Amino acid sequence: MQEDNLSYIYRGLFTQTITDSIISLAENNLESTGETSKVKKRVFSIMVECLQNITRHQTVEGEEYNDSSMPGIFMIQRKDDGYFITSGNVVPNLATPKLRSQLEKINSLKQDELKEYYKQILEDGSISDRGGAGLGLIEMARKSGNKLTFDFAKVNDDISYFYLHTAISKEIENATAVPVNLDNIKSLHRLANEEEIVLVFNGVLNQDTLINLLSIIEGQMRGRVDIKKKVYNIMVEMLQNIVKHAAKGDDETILGNPGIFFISSKNNSYNLCTGNYISNRNVAELKTKLEHVNTLKGEEIELFYSMRLLNFEIDNSKEAGLGVIDLRMKSGNKLDYSFSKVNDSVSFFTLQVSLK
Amino acid sequence: MEALFYKKTEDTPSIILDPERNTFEISHRSLPEDANGFYEPILKWLGEYYENPLPKINFVFFFEYFNTSSAKQIAKILLFLEKLSQTSEVTILWKYAKNDADMLSTGVRYSKSLSLNFQFMPV
Repeated sequence: MQEDNLSYIYRGLFTQTITDSIISLAENNLESTGETSKVKKRVFSIMVECLQNITRHQTVEGEEYNDSSMPGIFMIQRKDDGYFITSGNVVPNLATPKLRSQLEKINSLKQDELKEYYKQILEDGSISDRGGAGLGLIEMARKSGNKLTFDFAKVNDDISYFYLHTAISKEIENATAVPVNLDNIKSLHRLANEEEIVLVFNGVLNQDTLINLLSIIEGQMRGRVDIKKKVYNIMVEMLQNIVKHAAKGDDETILGNPGIFFISSKNNSYNLCTGNYISNRNVAELKTKLEHVNTLKGEEIELFYSMRLLNFEIDNSKEAGLGVIDLRMKSGNKLDYSFSKVNDSVSFFTLQVSLK
Repeated sequence: MEALFYKKTEDTPSIILDPERNTFEISHRSLPEDANGFYEPILKWLGEYYENPLPKINFVFFFEYFNTSSAKQIAKILLFLEKLSQTSEVTILWKYAKNDADMLSTGVRYSKSLSLNFQFMPV
């Protein structure tokens, strides 16, 4: 978690609202961690191109490939030497030869040649009705300073998954990222499909990140309204717990608290999980609250909640706060949690809430 | 008394407290990072309104969602209205989307703990 202080994986549908939120989420995280504006701009524009690429290929000849049975995947990671953006999405098999030749052409060119090639395509006017002609891909190669890594995985006779991986070196002049094998991405995508993972977020949590995450999940969820509302409720309480009460860990300069958030929806039951640092001073108290709320059954939870709701004197007692009681009440299940000591000042706290 | 208006945002409610038009309404959603801070001026306004209240008011709550720290602040507002109901005629109009059983039971929970006239209205 410390080494990769930003990474997230989104799997699902890519609508305009969702892609907008994915972009704001990354923007907010780049801001909060104090990335230089030059690098920020490059990461941002590559991300936009990448996401536009996904949505552009969703509809081919009037047919919508934005199908929840074949969800795409989008990942961003930060490591010491730069950022890595990876996407995997459905494309029709008919489109793959052209895409492959465009990418091979782009990868054969040097930086200055790419610029020429870009101009040439613009002047040619040979821009397809989908805004294509690979302009977006050229931009991604130019702004990253590296070759684009790509692969296809055939799904059936009509469609394939198209994987595209862009390494964005912090210093464009001495970009040295080597092409990577995309098998890891493919198996990750397969695993995410099997486990029906919707989102994995590892980064800075503040109120803005919370709003973006909510909007992604709201746009993604299908099905019963009451379940959607419950998931929304649970997410707010879990994430605001991190925003308000988590410890910062090593880096005191970031605007927010580091945290991990994970949501999956296997077999119509949602599983939400958070992980964050907490000051060792607060561990015993939180543990008591969680233990207490887990001992309550049925009506007792409702009663306990009502009692706490109108009592303003006992806010600092060792009994559970409203948020924790609410999580217990909304999920209908016991809360699953763990604490592990990291060092003398902080522990790592995980909380898992399942909703059936 | 000067009316109090707040426009809704992604995480805070729309608020209309307008004695001149006899309109009192809190709606939309409420999940601010600092619910205490957000509701403080509203409670302060209500405190001043108490000095010279209208004889009869309908106070509308129409939420699609609020978090637990807002729940606590809404409880404060309702407790204030309970106090006000000793001198004015106060009706709480608890509106909720008709498929939102959770918001209805949230309102019922408040009504059970307070001596206030609640009317529940599916919209």
